[in-house]
Amino acid sequence: MLSVLRRHRDPLLVCLILAHALGMFLGSSRRVRDPNLVDRIALAVTAPVQRGAVATVDGMVNAWQQYVSLRSVRRDNAGLLQENTKLRADVVGLAEARAENERLRRLVHYDEVNPGPKVIARVLGINPDPNRLTLRIDRGEGDGVRRGQAVVTADGVVGQVLRATASAADVLVVFDPNSRLGGRVQRTRSRVGIAGAGDEQALKLEYLLRTEDLEEGDLVVTSGTDGVYPPGLVVGRVTGVQRQTSGMFLNAGILPAVNFGKVEEVLVLAPQPAASFPTRMEGQGGR
Amino acid sequence: MKLALTLVLTLMFLALESVAVKYVGLGVARIDVTVAIVAFLSLRAGLLEGAAASYAVGYLLDLMTGRPTGLYTLLAVVTFLLGRIAAGIVDVRSAKSFALFAMAADATHGLLAWGIGSVSDKQMAVSGLSGLPLEVFLTGLAALVLYPLLKRFGLGAEKRDPGLLTL
Repeated sequence: MLSVLRRHRDPLLVCLILAHALGMFLGSSRRVRDPNLVDRIALAVTAPVQRGAVATVDGMVNAWQQYVSLRSVRRDNAGLLQENTKLRADVVGLAEARAENERLRRLVHYDEVNPGPKVIARVLGINPDPNRLTLRIDRGEGDGVRRGQAVVTADGVVGQVLRATASAADVLVVFDPNSRLGGRVQRTRSRVGIAGAGDEQALKLEYLLRTEDLEEGDLVVTSGTDGVYPPGLVVGRVTGVQRQTSGMFLNAGILPAVNFGKVEEVLVLAPQPAASFPTRMEGQGGR
Repeated sequence: MKLALTLVLTLMFLALESVAVKYVGLGVARIDVTVAIVAFLSLRAGLLEGAAASYAVGYLLDLMTGRPTGLYTLLAVVTFLLGRIAAGIVDVRSAKSFALFAMAADATHGLLAWGIGSVSDKQMAVSGLSGLPLEVFLTGLAALVLYPLLKRFGLGAEKRDPGLLTL
């Protein structure tokens, strides 16, 4: 008997193992049993492995996600840089359009306040000849522009058309030494002569008696007596008043209302009819 | 010593598998590495040593389920014994043939689990059967990877004689 058992020891032990497993399964209830010593050891061994594996995988996943994110950020950054450049260019363009719109709006407003035939022209350039301070505009005889017509902006007087071709015209600016126009001190209604001095920052105020009332900052407007400019156009403000002890006239300058360095659009006014010369205003001045 | 190594490897694989399932999201279909180990034992280990190791492997699998009922312990031993019988019929010498062997073992294991489980727990039976094909496939893939590793560790390397009554 013992020899049989010894000979078939392994199969018998395997049967015991199988029987124990079967008994364990059949004997188990639905209720979860408390962990025994073996369970605790097994769980104690697996838990750190699981933690390590989770940490490793999490680290790899995080590293990968950060790498992908970084690539994405770089790509987005490049795209945003391009977009930013384009938008900045657009902003510059829009600001330019806005400024142009503002200037045109003011010109339109001027047209509403001062009705009459006008031609809106764009300044093409400044004549490089230092002896002739002129601007070139993009309107000419084809647009009705003729020599002698007044050129203004919403800010004030610019000059008069010196010559015109079919599609362009040169404008003699008021600060050219050859320029002359009739003016009037708005506050006192004194009539004065205005001459260019070759300096865009200063016009000469002429022919005002030194006994006349004149103050710094007085507004000077066109008188309309020169046959070129209609009356009431702003020329500038009085500056540098000097009353001499001798002589008939005082010396003063006029700071032009128009910033000639920034003129971009102008209005070319129709020739002044002789009847519109405000001769009746001459009596108000004291020359 | 081999039994201890088997247990350590099984614990490692189960721990890693649980983590892999967590990330891959194979809620229904598990990669049954324990069946692959049992299949390998049935090919290489002796009868007593293999049965004891399978018992231990099944016990650990039971333990890792969180609700040990002894079902997987029983099934591991049964699968090992059936594998011993099958090993007398087929010749498994390569990783590919081992993968097929492990897939067959896993299918058997799954069907037995479903059959026995359906008697005691219907919900477990339904979920087990629906995920079985994918589980078998994934276990085959895992077996391809595990085969050289198990060979390297020399798990049950001293035994090649198939059958239940041979020593």
